[in-house]
Amino acid sequence: MAKRTRRVGYGLPVVLAIGVHIVALLLTMLRLPESEPIPSSSSVVQATLVSDVTATDKAQYAKEAKARAAKRQAEEAAQQAAEQQAQEAAREQAEQQAAQAQAEQQAAADAARAEAQRRQQAAEQAAAERAEAARQQQAAEAEQQRQVQIQKQKAAEAKKQAEAEKQRKAEEAKKQAEAEKQREAEEAKKQAEAEKQRKAEEAKKQAEAEKQREAEEAKKKAEAEKKRQAEEAKKKAEAEKKRQAEEAKKKAAAEAKKKAEAAAKAASQNALNDSIANEEERIANAQQSNQASNSFINLVKRAVEDQWHLPPNADGSLVTQVRVRLGPSGELLAATVTRSSGNPSFDRSATQAVEAAAPFRELQQLDAGLQRRFRDFNLKFTPGDIQ
Amino acid sequence: MNDSMSIPHLIMNASLVVQVVMLLLLAASVASWVVIFQRSFALARAKKAQREFDERFWSGIDLNELYQDVPENHEAQGAEHVFRAGFREFNRLMPKTRSSEAVLDGVQRSQRVALSREEDRLNANLTLLATVASASPYIGLFGTVWGIMGSFQSLSMAQQATLSTVAPWIAEALVATAMGLFAAIPAVIFYNRLSSIASRLLGEYEDFAEEFHSILHRNLQGRGSSQSA
Repeated sequence: MAKRTRRVGYGLPVVLAIGVHIVALLLTMLRLPESEPIPSSSSVVQATLVSDVTATDKAQYAKEAKARAAKRQAEEAAQQAAEQQAQEAAREQAEQQAAQAQAEQQAAADAARAEAQRRQQAAEQAAAERAEAARQQQAAEAEQQRQVQIQKQKAAEAKKQAEAEKQRKAEEAKKQAEAEKQREAEEAKKQAEAEKQRKAEEAKKQAEAEKQREAEEAKKKAEAEKKRQAEEAKKKAEAEKKRQAEEAKKKAAAEAKKKAEAAAKAASQNALNDSIANEEERIANAQQSNQASNSFINLVKRAVEDQWHLPPNADGSLVTQVRVRLGPSGELLAATVTRSSGNPSFDRSATQAVEAAAPFRELQQLDAGLQRRFRDFNLKFTPGDIQ
Repeated sequence: MNDSMSIPHLIMNASLVVQVVMLLLLAASVASWVVIFQRSFALARAKKAQREFDERFWSGIDLNELYQDVPENHEAQGAEHVFRAGFREFNRLMPKTRSSEAVLDGVQRSQRVALSREEDRLNANLTLLATVASASPYIGLFGTVWGIMGSFQSLSMAQQATLSTVAPWIAEALVATAMGLFAAIPAVIFYNRLSSIASRLLGEYEDFAEEFHSILHRNLQGRGSSQSA
């Protein structure tokens, strides 16, 4: 038996036993610090249920305030931009309208003017026509008269001649024969009369033809003139219109260019505005979620209020803040007093109210981001109400 | 968990009697664990030695050689101790008496003594485990009852009895029970396990003693017949 067996000593067992106890103690101790930082690290956002909250909440508030300010600025900027745009648009529109109006007015004026001109011209023409016609008539009349006079003169001459002849003839007839004289006189008279009549008719015809021709000519002329003038006016109006249209177009183009430039400027300005808009959207989302969460917070508050039994020795000045941490399905993980009121029974009543109100199953109805957010929030208890 | 409700905080805030009870329980727990480790090692070693001796004894070695091979300052344990006690007695009695019955009686007696000592050694300190296992729940319960008594005494002074006024007291009182159970449960488990190992070893020793006795008896019968012949 080479091997020497000895009694087993107590040194090693004692060390081992103490080791076992230390391990056991550490297990109970370690669980506490371990269990706390994990939720606190996961609770990036604390519920802003109370007005005066922890530093992280304040930071968040500040952030929110900043965001709000940014949003307001963005809104203002947007508003300004919108206003500017609106103004621009209005101005543009006004300008356009003005241009249009102007164009219209001009056109109208032109048209009026043209019309007036035309009318005037027409009137003038008509007047001229009339005048001409009158003149022509007069001329015709005068001619007629003249012709008549001439004829009369002629007639008178003829008469005279005839008389003279008559006298002479009469003398002759007197001399020759009174019958013949009478016949000749009659013949002459007849001839004269025929001649006169023919001449008068001729003159009349001529005058009439002349008049007609002249009237026609005048009419033609007037018509041509009218046409020409109308065409001219039309052309002018068209040219004017074209010009105005071009001008308007040009103006519009310039305006558009200006607008585009402004838009570009706005776009470049909105390089910042874009991000602001994004943030705005985010804030809008946040606000929406805030609304959703407010209902959840109100629910929690009501449930906790219902379960809160105020200790009899609590006076109105006590304030305690309880941090509530929830599991994913709304079950209560922990309700700890983060700011004691100094009255332990009051503190305990607050935590017990939260414990009694749990679980908050409504948490499951919130969406994932909000759920994460509302797994950790603070409740402030004051006698009278829970804030 | 609230910091004011942590176990160390509760222990520090407990009343004196409860604290003493807790200290006692802690000591009992430590002691029971010391015994558990010590006995575990000792029994493991005894099992190993038993196996080795068994192999050696039944390898066909001469008994005198086996007896003398063992150094004197070595304290024999287990079956070896039984063998040595019996063989020494046999050697001592052989020259003095011719009666084989007397020799065998003496050997048997000395073996019985050796066995009794081995049993004693195997079961040493296991009684402590048994005591801790059975007593520490009661001790813990005592601490709890004492703590609850204290809580009710303080409650009588309060105007309004809410759960919140009783809860800390009961919590710290219940820590005592928890500690009692913490000490008792391993003690019970290991007491059962260690005592079963010890009794099995003891059975093996007894079996060996009987076998050795039969060997000696066979030898004596042979010698008696040769002498008579």
